[in-house]
Amino acid sequence: MKKMIVSVLLLASLFAFYACSNDTSGSSNATTTTGITDITIGFWPESNLTQDVEMYEDWERLFEDDYPQYNIVGQPYVYDTATFPALASTGQLPVVFETWFTEPEKLVSKGYVRDITAILSELEWLDKMDDEMRAELTFDELVYGIPRDGYGLGLFLNLEIFEMVGLMTDIDMDGIVDIYDEEGNPLYPTTMDELYETSAFISHEMMRLYGEEVAGLVLLSANKNGGWQFSNLVWNFGEALQVYDETTETWRANLNSPAAVKALEWIYELKWTEEALPATPSLTYSDWYIYIGTNQAAMAFVGSDAINLPVTNYEMPKDYIAFVPMPQGTDDQMQTHQYTLFGGTPFMFSARATDEQVRGALLFMEYIGRSPETSEIAVQSINRGNTVAENKGMTIVPSIKAWKDPAYLMMMAEIETRYVNVYMPNFEPFYDGLATTKRPEEPYYTQEMYEILDGVIQQVLTNENANPEALLNSANTSFETNYMSQVND
Amino acid sequence: MVGNLKRFFGKNLGGYLIMLPSVILFAFFIWVPLLKNLHLSFFDVTNYDTIGDFVAFDNYKTIFANDLFIRSLLNTLQYIGWSLLIGFFVPIFLALLVNEAVHFKGIFRTALNIPNFIPGIAATAIWVYFFRSEQNGVLNSILANLGIDKVNWLYTPNWSAIPLIVLTMTWKGAGATMLIYLAALQTIDSTYYEAARIEGANMWWRLRLVTFPTLFQNMKTLLILQVIAVFQVFYEPLMLTKQNPYSYSLLQILYKTAIEDMKIDEGAAMGVIVSLMLFILTFVYLRIVNRKQKAGA
Repeated sequence: MKKMIVSVLLLASLFAFYACSNDTSGSSNATTTTGITDITIGFWPESNLTQDVEMYEDWERLFEDDYPQYNIVGQPYVYDTATFPALASTGQLPVVFETWFTEPEKLVSKGYVRDITAILSELEWLDKMDDEMRAELTFDELVYGIPRDGYGLGLFLNLEIFEMVGLMTDIDMDGIVDIYDEEGNPLYPTTMDELYETSAFISHEMMRLYGEEVAGLVLLSANKNGGWQFSNLVWNFGEALQVYDETTETWRANLNSPAAVKALEWIYELKWTEEALPATPSLTYSDWYIYIGTNQAAMAFVGSDAINLPVTNYEMPKDYIAFVPMPQGTDDQMQTHQYTLFGGTPFMFSARATDEQVRGALLFMEYIGRSPETSEIAVQSINRGNTVAENKGMTIVPSIKAWKDPAYLMMMAEIETRYVNVYMPNFEPFYDGLATTKRPEEPYYTQEMYEILDGVIQQVLTNENANPEALLNSANTSFETNYMSQVND
Repeated sequence: MVGNLKRFFGKNLGGYLIMLPSVILFAFFIWVPLLKNLHLSFFDVTNYDTIGDFVAFDNYKTIFANDLFIRSLLNTLQYIGWSLLIGFFVPIFLALLVNEAVHFKGIFRTALNIPNFIPGIAATAIWVYFFRSEQNGVLNSILANLGIDKVNWLYTPNWSAIPLIVLTMTWKGAGATMLIYLAALQTIDSTYYEAARIEGANMWWRLRLVTFPTLFQNMKTLLILQVIAVFQVFYEPLMLTKQNPYSYSLLQILYKTAIEDMKIDEGAAMGVIVSLMLFILTFVYLRIVNRKQKAGA
């Protein structure tokens, strides 16, 4: 009897708790109190970044003076897949937050973000948005965010190493290593073959001349970064990783194309024949700037929005940086291909945010220089942002614009002329070719595909007996079976 | 019935009131999440607020069709195997050594237990530098000074990283386990050893006939506890080998599926599988403890 009563009571309390825990209809983090709408801003700087916080507080004051119906609340949040679902599920997500361009599809399908089409239309921003970035944020003709800025994948050169091995020098004696010879011919690798040879040469020469183990090229292989970079290499060898079959009208995986095999064999040879890659075969995006910034590597595939990292983290001199396009590759028919993987950072809005909060957050964008507006306030805020970056010793390079409105582009060009603080001749090759070479990431299950490719790259980097073609065949079957087949359902 | 209840509460109310806070906390933090997880594993879940259709065992079928899940399961079994091979006897050996020490016994005891005081992530971070594949890794630097070529410690083909990861776990955890064995060793009456010596027993026989029978119950308990702990290996491979499929553990894929990929339903199904396995192991552990208690009584 005693046992039965205790069991019944325990079970009853358990189900009561369970019932309570299922009540997730909690209120939104959005609240309107006394007619003032709170807007939580997730990209607010952390408190240790005092100059940035001061700048944001000034912007907040200006905005609230002009729009007293809103109250800006800073809630620093760096997007992280580990923390995001918990914040979203408990209603603690900021009204607006930054994420990556690979995430919108997942966030939209999981119902964590809301569409803002009507409000963008009301502000007349829709048609000012960069077309490719807008496409990345559009699902079923609804737009779920706005772009902050874009990036293109390029080849980062550590000119100090190039100078040490005698590949480049300061020709015009202006104190900066030049990436062209006296006739104006590029001294940096422009083709995949040249990149291979340069990487190998640097590794061998650094060991011969200085006894130092220096990787010619940093190639990533974990946290989906390996697949991300690999896809650009495959494009440049002439094929896509996902293809639409016109005859069957279906999408299919194409991870084992001749171009992909060629790209993987290129990696294999660099690793095992030339020993020109880092010894650690499992590197992420947090690793490349350690190698570059500490002179353990000469080159890396890097997004144009991350050039700053070795400077801010390892005090790498800005003048030792050059940024050039992804090298051109050749397919089996000797056709050349050159693409620049193109992505960026979008702002997205919590599914629980109200229309009024979204409107307020978008209006605030003008006050921080992240809108297509060209008002005096917008100009001042962009100038202020650049001044703070300059004071912090950061590199300021031309941005890849989120908006295509001519007035906006003109304004940005004028501002950048004043603030860009790198030696532009060493960056121009990348920016000059971007418009004609940029290409968005593969469309379906991109992150899952990157992850599968990471595994393939890691196996090539760890096993001298690896068979690139067999590995890609197996990866293709796995990706087709587990993911691509669902696209055609 | 009502009379029974009245009598029951009249007699035990105080006790149950004392117990109540613990029951509430236990239910809230353990049983409710477990039940919720079980519930989610049978549904099509978009997010925690949007639970769709009942899908029966579809999520379970999906995870068992996932190569990486199967590989992680097998890897986890390898972790357990290697931990028994490498890690099980080390604390016993250390306890025997410390027990025999005449001087500085306290210092040895403390020193061997120091790794256990270091937070897990920090302890593993130390090993990251030891196992670096570059020439500047600690182990590779030592090899270089001996004129030996560098070794790709955690990524050598056909030589999985699992034994080395288990080695780091043993380094961290052996000290604490050693203390338990040491405590048991110190309960052995020295007259047993003296009697064995008089009978002509050498060291091996003294160990076999006196020491090990005393430690045997502890060994059984600690073995199953070790299996349970190693079954949940997570941050060590996460830090040392990141997402290398050859050392991916069950909890790593669970974390990836439920948190990183936001596939809550599949993650819940994996959670149920892990819980079931741990439940079986815990059941075995409790049986051993019960038997031990009965033997003691």
